[in-house]
Amino acid sequence: MKKRGKITFFVVFALIVLLAYTAIAGISTRYGDVENIIIKGVDSIRWGIDIRGGVDVTFTPPADVEATDDEMSAAESVIKQRLVSQNITDSEVYTDYQNDRIIVRFPWKEGESDFNPENAIKELGETAELTFREGNSTDGTGAPSGTTATNIILTGSDVKSAKAGQTSGQSGSSAQFVVQLELNDSGKEKFSEATAKLAPSNGIISIWLDDQMISYPNVKDHITDGIATISGNFDAESAKELADKINAGALPFALTADNYNTINPTLGLDAKDAMVLAGGIALLLVCLYMIIVYRLPGAVASIALVGQTAGAIAAISGYFAPFPSFTLTLPGIAGIVLAIGMGVDANVITAERIKEELRSGKSVNAALQSGYKRAFSAIFDGNITVIIVAIILMGAFGPPASMFATLLKPIFQFFPSAITGSIYSFGYTLLVGVIMNFVMGMGASRLMLKSVSKFKCFGSKWLYGGKKDEE
Amino acid sequence: MKSNMNIVAKRKIFFTISLAIVAVTILVSVIFGVKRDIQFTGGAIITYSYQGELDKSAFESEMKAALDGQHLNLQYSQNSATGKQNVVVSLPNSGSISIDKVSSIQSMLDQKFAANELTQESIDSVDPTMGGEFFLKCIAAVVFAAVLMILFIALRFRKIGGWSAGVMAVVALLHDVIMVFAVFTLCRIPLNDNFIAVVLTILGYSINDTIVIYDRIRENTQLHRSMPVAERVNLSINQSFVRTMNTTITTVMAMSVVCIVALIFNVTTILTFAFPMIVGMISGVYSSLCISGPLWVVWQEHKAKKKAEAAKAPKAKKKK
Repeated sequence: MKKRGKITFFVVFALIVLLAYTAIAGISTRYGDVENIIIKGVDSIRWGIDIRGGVDVTFTPPADVEATDDEMSAAESVIKQRLVSQNITDSEVYTDYQNDRIIVRFPWKEGESDFNPENAIKELGETAELTFREGNSTDGTGAPSGTTATNIILTGSDVKSAKAGQTSGQSGSSAQFVVQLELNDSGKEKFSEATAKLAPSNGIISIWLDDQMISYPNVKDHITDGIATISGNFDAESAKELADKINAGALPFALTADNYNTINPTLGLDAKDAMVLAGGIALLLVCLYMIIVYRLPGAVASIALVGQTAGAIAAISGYFAPFPSFTLTLPGIAGIVLAIGMGVDANVITAERIKEELRSGKSVNAALQSGYKRAFSAIFDGNITVIIVAIILMGAFGPPASMFATLLKPIFQFFPSAITGSIYSFGYTLLVGVIMNFVMGMGASRLMLKSVSKFKCFGSKWLYGGKKDEE
Repeated sequence: MKSNMNIVAKRKIFFTISLAIVAVTILVSVIFGVKRDIQFTGGAIITYSYQGELDKSAFESEMKAALDGQHLNLQYSQNSATGKQNVVVSLPNSGSISIDKVSSIQSMLDQKFAANELTQESIDSVDPTMGGEFFLKCIAAVVFAAVLMILFIALRFRKIGGWSAGVMAVVALLHDVIMVFAVFTLCRIPLNDNFIAVVLTILGYSINDTIVIYDRIRENTQLHRSMPVAERVNLSINQSFVRTMNTTITTVMAMSVVCIVALIFNVTTILTFAFPMIVGMISGVYSSLCISGPLWVVWQEHKAKKKAEAAKAPKAKKKK
C-alpha cells in the first residue's frame, strides 16, 4: 500500500510530461512525403485572423430589403462556393438568420504577397450570375465552350425559386430527393422552347453559377408550365445545396459589406511571437514564486501548472479527438496567460490550509488530508463563477450557431451576432484554463503531493510551510 | 506570515477612498466625455505603413480631399521593436467606409506618395446601427453576468444571510467595474470589446476572492457562535488574506509580463486589455478585503440594531 502510494507521483509526473511534450510537438508518422498527423501539436493550431492576417466581414442585405431565411441560406451557399473558387479553403461562414447577417472570416493565403482584400470582399458580395445553357461542353479551364457558351436559355431573373423536395415513391421505387424548380413568366416561354428542342434527343441543359457548372440534367419532357424537377443521385443535403445555389442566382439583391476588418499578416505574426514570449516568461515567474513561497507544495503546483498549460494548448489544437480545434486569437493567448496566473489559486488555497493545519499541531499526513478537504468548497465556488463568465463571453461573442450562443439564445436573441471574433477565443481559453486548473489543482497536484509526502526525505514539516524544528 | 489587521474597524477610511475614486471618475467622464470605439459607434479606421519621410501636411490634405472633406484624425506611430512607421487614419463620425472608397484612396496614395510605399496594414469599418446593437448586446452580457453572480452567491451562502451577502458582493463588483471603467476613461482608451471582456473577467475574478472570504465567514459562524459579527468577519478576512494576496500577486505578475511585452512590441489590442485587467484585479482584491466584508458587517449590525429596537419596543409598552 505504502509503496503504491510512492509510485503515484512518478506516474502523474510522467503523464504530465507526456501531455506537455505531445501537446507541443504532436505525434505524426511520415511515409515518404505524406505526413500523417495522429495527435495535433502546436503547429496545427488555427491562428485567428488578427494573428495571421485576413478578412472578417459581415454581409447584410441592403437596408430596405427584408430577406427571408431561404434567401439568406441561398446567399450563404453562393459565398461558400466563391470562397472555394477563390481557392480559400480555410474559411468560416456563419449565418445569423434572426438578424439577416452572414459573417465570413478567412485568413490571408500563405505565401501570397499581393492579396487584395478589397477585391475578395467585393467578389463575395456580388449578385451571383446564374445561367441555364444548352449542352455541357467545356474547354480545358472548365469554362463553357461551343453551343454551351453561346446558347444561354435562362438567366437568374427568369427563375422564381428552387427548393429541395421528395418525389412520392412510385410503384417499386423508393422516394427520391429532387430539386423542384419554378420559373417566372419571363422564363416559361424560353424554357418551353428549349425543352421542346432538347427533349426528343434527351439533350442536356447545364446550370451555371458564376463560371462554374453546378448541375447538368438531361431533358426528359417538353415543359410548358415553367415547373420542372431535377432528379439524380441526390440525398437531402445535396438537393438542398443545389436548390440554394439556384436560389442564389435568383436573389433580387446584392449583399452589402459595411462591416469589415482586414489585417495584414506581418502585423499579427510579430504580435503572436511577442505574446508567446510573454506566456513563457509568465509561466516561469509564477512557478518561481510558488516554489519560493510554498516550498514543496509550490514545486508540485508548478508541475501541475505546466500540465494545465499543456492541457489548454491541447484543447485548442484539437489534441483530444472528439473536441475540434479552435481558432486562437491574441486575446485568446492572453486568456491562457491569465489562466496561468489564476491557475495556481487552487494550489495556493490548499497550501495555505495545509500550513494552518500544521500550525494547529497536526501531522503532515493529516494536514494534507484535511487541507485538501477543507479547501475544496472555496475552490469549487470560485471556479464556478469564472466558468459562468467564460460561458457568457463565448455566448455573447461567439458565432450564432455555436453551443453557448444557442444556450444563451433566450437572452441574446434580441441582439445580432458579434462583429468581432477575437474575444470568443478569450472566453474559450479562460474556460479551458479554469477547468484544467480544477483538474490539475485538485487532481494531479493532490495525488503528487500525497505521494511525495510518503518519502522519508520529504517528511519535514518545513517543506510544507511549517516550522523547521517541528520534525 | 499570520496576518492580524483590523480591517473592519478601519472601514470608514476604505469606503472614503473608494468613493473618492468613483467621484473623480464620474467627474472626468462627465467633463471630458466617454470615448467609445468605432466598434460601438460606427466609423472607420485605416492603418497604413510607410517608408521614409512622409509629407504629413500633404498626406492630410490629400486624404481629406479623397474623403470629401470628412472630419478625420491622423495618428503617427512607430513600432519600437520592428522600427516600422505607421499612420492611423480614423473617421469617427462618418459611419462605415465603402470598399470602393478604400480602393480609390489606395490608388491615389500609390500615385501621389509613390516613394513612401503606403501599404494598408488593417482596415476597420463598422456600420453605426450594427455598432449600436453590438454595444447593447455587450451591456446585456454584463448585466446578465452580474445577475447570475448575485443568484449564485445568494444560493451558496444561504446560511449567513444569502441575499445580503449577494448584494454586498455585487456592490464590491460594481466598485471593480467602475475602477476598470476609470482606467479606460482616465487613460482615454475608447471603450471597446476589450473593455467588456475585462469587465466580465473581473466580475468572475473578484467574486472569487469575495467567495473565499464568505466561505470563511460561513465556517467561522459555525465555529465561533458567540463572536460579534465585526470580529468574526475581521477574523475571516485575516485568515484569507495571505491566500488572496498570493493569488493576486501571481495573476497580476502574469498579466504584467503580458502588459510589458505588449508595450515593447506595440501590440495595442493587448495593451488595452492587459493594463485595465491588472487594475481591475488589484481593485478586486481591495474590494473583496476592504469593501464587501466590512460592508456586510454594517448591514448585519444595522439589522441587529433594528431587531433589538423592535424587541425593546413591545417590552416598553408592557411596562406602561
